Amino acid sequence: MIAMLAKLLKALNSDSAPGQIALAFALALITGLTPLFSLHNVLIVFIACIVRVNFGAFLLGTLFFSGLAYLLDPAAIALGESVLTHGSAQTFLTELYQSDFWRATRFNNTLVIGSLIIALVAFIPVLLISRWLISAYRNKLMVWVDKLKITKLLKASKFYKVYQALAD
Amino acid sequence: MKQWIRWSGLAGFVVIGAVLVLVWLFAAGPIIKYSIETFGSQAAKAKVEVGRVGLTFDPFGIEIENLQVANADKPMENLLQFERAVADIELLPLLLGKGIVNEVALTGLAFSTTRQTSGALDNVDDADESSSTEDKSESEDKDANTLSQQALPTADELLSREPLLTEQRGRAFKNSYETIKSDSDKAIAALPDSKALASYEDEFNRITSGKFDSIEDFQQRKKEFDALKKRIKQDQKAISEASKVLSNGKTELQNQWSDLQKAPSEDFDNLKNKYKLDGNGVANLSRLLFGDKVGQWSQQGLYWYEKARPFLISDEGDAQAQAEIEVVRNKGRFVHYETDRPLPDFLIRQVNLAVELDVGQVAVKVFDITHQQHVIDRPTRIIATGRELKDIQSLDLTGSLDHRATPGKDVFDLTIKGMALNNYDVGAMGLKLDRSELGIIGHAELVAGELDANTTAQFTRAKFSSKDKTQVAIEMAKALAKIDRFDIEAEAKGELTAPGVSIESDLDTQLSQAFSQRLKEKQQELEVQLKKSLNEKLLSYAGDYKEQLQAMDLESGSLGDKQAKLKQLANSELSSFQDQQKAEAKRKLEQKKKAEQDKAKAKVDEKKKQLEKEAKDKLKNLFN
Repeated sequence: MIAMLAKLLKALNSDSAPGQIALAFALALITGLTPLFSLHNVLIVFIACIVRVNFGAFLLGTLFFSGLAYLLDPAAIALGESVLTHGSAQTFLTELYQSDFWRATRFNNTLVIGSLIIALVAFIPVLLISRWLISAYRNKLMVWVDKLKITKLLKASKFYKVYQALAD
Repeated sequence: MKQWIRWSGLAGFVVIGAVLVLVWLFAAGPIIKYSIETFGSQAAKAKVEVGRVGLTFDPFGIEIENLQVANADKPMENLLQFERAVADIELLPLLLGKGIVNEVALTGLAFSTTRQTSGALDNVDDADESSSTEDKSESEDKDANTLSQQALPTADELLSREPLLTEQRGRAFKNSYETIKSDSDKAIAALPDSKALASYEDEFNRITSGKFDSIEDFQQRKKEFDALKKRIKQDQKAISEASKVLSNGKTELQNQWSDLQKAPSEDFDNLKNKYKLDGNGVANLSRLLFGDKVGQWSQQGLYWYEKARPFLISDEGDAQAQAEIEVVRNKGRFVHYETDRPLPDFLIRQVNLAVELDVGQVAVKVFDITHQQHVIDRPTRIIATGRELKDIQSLDLTGSLDHRATPGKDVFDLTIKGMALNNYDVGAMGLKLDRSELGIIGHAELVAGELDANTTAQFTRAKFSSKDKTQVAIEMAKALAKIDRFDIEAEAKGELTAPGVSIESDLDTQLSQAFSQRLKEKQQELEVQLKKSLNEKLLSYAGDYKEQLQAMDLESGSLGDKQAKLKQLANSELSSFQDQQKAEAKRKLEQKKKAEQDKAKAKVDEKKKQLEKEAKDKLKNLFN
């Protein structure tokens, strides 16, 4: 856990493009909010593997959003219920249901579809906001944080040694 | 763009994916084998063993070799076994954790084969085994009873088989008789005999006669008199008690005797009803002739139904599905849409198998085997069709196990046409159905463990014969010779484990007229025999009851005389000494008075005689 957090900080402090870290967070939003063992998450993991995103940020983001999912599940289920039972969508959903592939995606589960919609809707905002936050951190916060006494104390800790080892 | 692609990541993804697939391919066979053996054994309550399980890829599926399902009731026998089964499994539903099997083809299927090792489960305890053995022996006894009831028994067989009231009451009467006799003898032995009574009288006279010489003499006699009275009173009490014992004993014996006398006729009525020796019972020949066979077929049918049912449907599965729905609600729920291909957790769309029977081959197709019939909204269906059957034109069996709603409903329809029946041993009276053509239409429904089945068998071109030379068999064979066709209707209703079976046939009506006279004679013979035997039993218990009763009556009469005599003696009183003195004086006075009166009378008489003499003399002188 310490190593993963160190990797994230290293990424934040390194020359990695803010977009790569932000995209890792945005992808983690999907794997975190939706049930993990779903077919679409195989695709997300595949993307996370082949696209040069920060994998540590992806894993940490997945953990973070999985925790957040416990709070969002009731809303996701309600949303999924309304979508799956919506009158005008019935023909389309019934057609999808005839396909074994789509059924394998578990699209007809209220939690899967509800949480996936929330994750997809939040994908771009999360991507943009996290990118902006990373840039802001590097430009302003990192300099200010380095001057803090607590940072100096932390730099003397075991955690910083791990961080240093990874940075080297 | 190039800087966005991570080739090492792609390679890692492919390698991890490949490793997962390979592990699954190697592990799938053993996992499936383990699952079949574990869950199959639980369902069959006996060992289920699989030789090998492998995966096939075109089409994707599994191949099972050498599967053996042991018979829980006979551990050294397999309920069924097959050499090879190939199941065509759909791949995508597996990603949803659903086992959807399009078709299962079984080859080398055989039933009731011998095993090399015991198929009993190791954890079945001995208690269960012993109880099942007991149950079996009990049921065998029951069967034996049922069978024995279906044959015409002799009077001796009936009497030895049944608990008789004559015997029960006879034994009770005998015991009471002996007890009462012993009590009566004791009571009578305690009574005074005639000598004792005479001695009482003599003693009484001795005490009361003669005058008291003195007060002491009086007191002595008084004392003796009181002692005598005391003895008399004791004897009176003994007589009362004895008469009470005799009276009660007599009443009890008379009541028991009356019940015992009724017992033979009650036994006779009971036996008559139980063994249906009346016209209707004996005329129910169809049960006698075909009851065994119908019972045997029903038992076989129910046996295979019970064995196959856990593999075809599962009520527990429904409950499990219900529980699953409740859990799924917390993680969202699946919304199902109209489809031709609903996906339950487990489904075998079709099983094809060929069963080799004595009569030929029967092709069996089973459709939609699942424990979640409510998902596919179809029941499990069975279609069995005979192929190239010996001596049978056609055989069709359809079945539907519908457990979409509770309670489930299982329905079976059987149609057999043109079945040639040759040399069928009827089993009673040496009768044989030499030849006949048989058509069977059967329908059975099972709802919540309650069976409702009826079967009609139509016999045509029937020809009977009998090798028995008894009058009954000859008469029966003659009557049957006139019958060309007849129907038998069998009905089974009630609990699946013990349904009530009734068999009716127009054969009864057809035969009853021709046979009723003979049956009547036979029945009368049996009734006479029964009555005779029962009366003999009654007499054996009666013993010397009547003599004893007479003796008790006589004894009761003599007790009355004795009691009266003793009462008379007991009521007498001894006068006091003063009274006796007074009585003596009075007696003397009376004697004196009487003497004076006698003296005066004598004087008067003498004077009278003298006067008469004087008168005679005067008259004499007057005429002389």
